[in-house]
Amino acid sequence: MKARGTLAAALASAGILLAGWQAGTQAGGVSTLASGTTSSGTTGSGPTAAGATGASGTGSSGTGASGTGSSGTGASGTGSSGSASTAAGTYKGSAVQTRFGAVQVQITVASGKITDVTALQLTDDDRKSVQISNRAAPLLRSEVLSAQSADVQTISGATVTSNAYLTSLQAAIDAANL
Amino acid sequence: MPRTSDRLRPEGTGFKAATFECMGTVISLTFPDSSAGAQETQDELAAASAVVERLFRELDGTFSLYRPASEASRLARGELTLRGASPGMRARYAEAHEWRLLTEGAFSPERPDGVLDLSGLIKAHAIREAGRSLHALGRRDWCLNAGGDILVSGSPGPGPDASWKAGIVDPVDRSRLVSAYAVGGPARHAALATSGSAERGEHIWRVESGSDFIQVTVAAADIVTADILATAIVSGGMPMLDRAADRWDVAVLAVHADGSLMATPGFRA
Repeated sequence: MKARGTLAAALASAGILLAGWQAGTQAGGVSTLASGTTSSGTTGSGPTAAGATGASGTGSSGTGASGTGSSGTGASGTGSSGSASTAAGTYKGSAVQTRFGAVQVQITVASGKITDVTALQLTDDDRKSVQISNRAAPLLRSEVLSAQSADVQTISGATVTSNAYLTSLQAAIDAANL
Repeated sequence: MPRTSDRLRPEGTGFKAATFECMGTVISLTFPDSSAGAQETQDELAAASAVVERLFRELDGTFSLYRPASEASRLARGELTLRGASPGMRARYAEAHEWRLLTEGAFSPERPDGVLDLSGLIKAHAIREAGRSLHALGRRDWCLNAGGDILVSGSPGPGPDASWKAGIVDPVDRSRLVSAYAVGGPARHAALATSGSAERGEHIWRVESGSDFIQVTVAAADIVTADILATAIVSGGMPMLDRAADRWDVAVLAVHADGSLMATPGFRA
């Protein structure tokens, strides 16, 4: 949930970024960029995004795009007077801790428009990649964690009545350990 | 004097289990064989199992609707009101209602006929309390399985590095396992519960006809969360599954009526 909130917030803040650029173009001067989340540091060549350091979205409850995005602290931008058409490159947000591990968002900007938003997966404590979303999805039976009866120490199933227990796998395991 | 065969046997490969019947099902408590020897494990297990059994029986005596003299039955007949009920009854009633709110009605402590029925919570509550008792007894490594709802502590081996592995029954063919999940030890979750319509489905009231889950397994840090969410997802279907996965730190494996699977990433191989 946090991860999606972060992603949504990044989208929102990116929108604000664009609005900032457009405002800057119209005013012909330095624009102030309001950024809600995550963008800090650049890997691309876009000079106008240098000021987009935002508060990272580490709220204790999953806030949606509007909440986090609009209330961001937004460092004032060093936005040059460059028109939107010069903004290009990819921008990585800062890593945000969620209960699934750290997550990070990257946007790709071309001709002043966001062309892609990618959720970069970082690592969890086990140094394995984690899924950002905990949402359920269809899985083939060959895709779930598999098990042979011999490998398990206990069995979970829909509530087993005393009668059904007699013929259950759990009964077999218990019998072996009695 | 230790027997040679005991020494030669690799530690942690053997288990001792004690079982008893209560709440309409069978409860199994399993200890890994300790280095002290099988007989000692057996003795310690017998003592611990007696404590767990007494706890289950006390709760069953209070909350069973199958016992005419129980406090729950008196409440159901209107001979007693919650105002005059025991603190334990009121605490469980409050807890059940909190879960009703959290699950937006997918879990409910009341039957459609209005009778208060806390049985959806009491078994998990009994497991939770039994776990506390086992810890109070100083037991570190154990697996408690009550009718397919599981709470574990520690690891099945001599070291702390291993998790218990719980097999999950395939509702399509109950002699087979559809999956397995690691609990305890270094794993994220210590509890695993499965609900379904296969054996005692009548205790789940479906609030949305859209649900066609015949079995739902939920792994969580605690047994009450796992058990209640499993029940709620069978009842509330896909919307409840999404809510559970978003809101709680859980792993979910759900089986559709046609045997196909729906799972959160934690169950992906």
